[in-house]
Amino acid sequence: MDDSKGGSSHAAHISPEQVQRFCEFIYRRTGMLFTESKRYFIDRRLEDRIAATGSSSFQEYFSLLRTDADHEIEHLINSFTVNETYFYREDHQFRCMTASLLDAIVHQKEPGGTVRIWSIPCSTGEEPYSIALWLMENWPQVDNYNIEIVGSDIDTRALNAASEGVYGDRALMRLSRDVVSRYFRPIAGGYHQIDEGLRNSIEFTRANLIDPQDMRQYRDFDLIFCRNVLIYFDDASRRLAAENLYDCLQPGGYICLGHSESMSRISPLFRVSRFPDAIVYQRPEADHG
Amino acid sequence: MPLIRGSKGTTSGEISAPHRAALDSPDAESRWTAARALAGQADAVPALAAALDREPTPRVREAMMTALIRIGNAASIEVILPYLRSEDAGLRAAAIEALQALPDAIAPFMAPLLSDDDSDVRLLATELARNMEASEATRLLCELIEREHHPNVCAAAIDVLTEVGTPEALPTLEKCAVRFAATPFLPFAISVAMSRISGAES
Repeated sequence: MDDSKGGSSHAAHISPEQVQRFCEFIYRRTGMLFTESKRYFIDRRLEDRIAATGSSSFQEYFSLLRTDADHEIEHLINSFTVNETYFYREDHQFRCMTASLLDAIVHQKEPGGTVRIWSIPCSTGEEPYSIALWLMENWPQVDNYNIEIVGSDIDTRALNAASEGVYGDRALMRLSRDVVSRYFRPIAGGYHQIDEGLRNSIEFTRANLIDPQDMRQYRDFDLIFCRNVLIYFDDASRRLAAENLYDCLQPGGYICLGHSESMSRISPLFRVSRFPDAIVYQRPEADHG
Repeated sequence: MPLIRGSKGTTSGEISAPHRAALDSPDAESRWTAARALAGQADAVPALAAALDREPTPRVREAMMTALIRIGNAASIEVILPYLRSEDAGLRAAAIEALQALPDAIAPFMAPLLSDDDSDVRLLATELARNMEASEATRLLCELIEREHHPNVCAAAIDVLTEVGTPEALPTLEKCAVRFAATPFLPFAISVAMSRISGAES
């Protein structure tokens, strides 16, 4: 959508009742919960979106939002969330992976067996490379198994960038200097390129999460990271994505969603699994009922 | 982009025939796969309807519902609607979730649902208005509230209006507050709804 419509130069007045209404809608639609303490944050972003869409009032903007005209829900979510991706983002899930999930996954595998991990959408590669780095740094059994990491995205430009593995300082801000020095090499312009061996160890592929045909080639994953994408989908697409992800997982396999996402609100196909570091979702081993 | 033609004029009916047959398989995995493959194929509605009626496995039922959502026409909605009357709460919830995913297609069915003899069906149907266009949802819910005698149905409609209602709902809500003045929770719910809707007007 064109964000240059401008609208009024005055900030739209938003009443407390309107904020309540907005917050309830956005919670039901996306799972993002905002309390009164975030009032300033909400007002600023709402005012920005009202202006950007050329709406003359909250009422007009709210109607536009509810009908998702011009993908406004996506624009709104983007304004409320951290769009930039970086290494070790939401690292509690990586801690959960090495402290709990992988032990459960390899429990039924022979040493030397294969552990398949999928990052979808992987954007420009920060997440799948983070998984690889975290495993090498934090999982004592990393050399006992054949670990396959696949990064997929619908955007082929992002995939090309992921394969290149070139990042600026901001993307690396959560990594220790030691890790950066061991796995990256400095290149021109102040950028850093990730180690060639790591780049070659991850398979980057194009995939559309809501296309069953597309997803058919992805099977037998033990662990899927599918973070901060389902909130953008409508109800029908979310259901379809959940079923596709179910088929891509091994029975007993796990899926990690973004911090504001809940599979329980989308589909009953998965079981909630609570671990000390994170809540994740598990494909049941067998059908019940 | 070049047009990719189907192989030798094969019709969707021919493609879906094996999957329709697989809906009868004793193996849940085969039925799941068949339901997933039939998503969006309008000619599969009768087969999906029959299969859904006898399906014992929740996740396969879920996939059949999704297949019907992907078809999203009047015929698929007519398959899902009877589950609003199911004795099984899980099935009622599954039906509501499925119908909520089809806000445009459900519109022609809303008036009869909101006039249904069964107050539980009327109550569930109010939730379907939540994803509809605001002025149409307001009109339907106000018509319901004007004639509704069951306080729980009114409360459900008011809850939806609190989120989606337009200022046209205010007179109906005022009258409802008078009519149900003796029902403790309704006047409070109405005052919240009116305040939200009025706030949207300012």
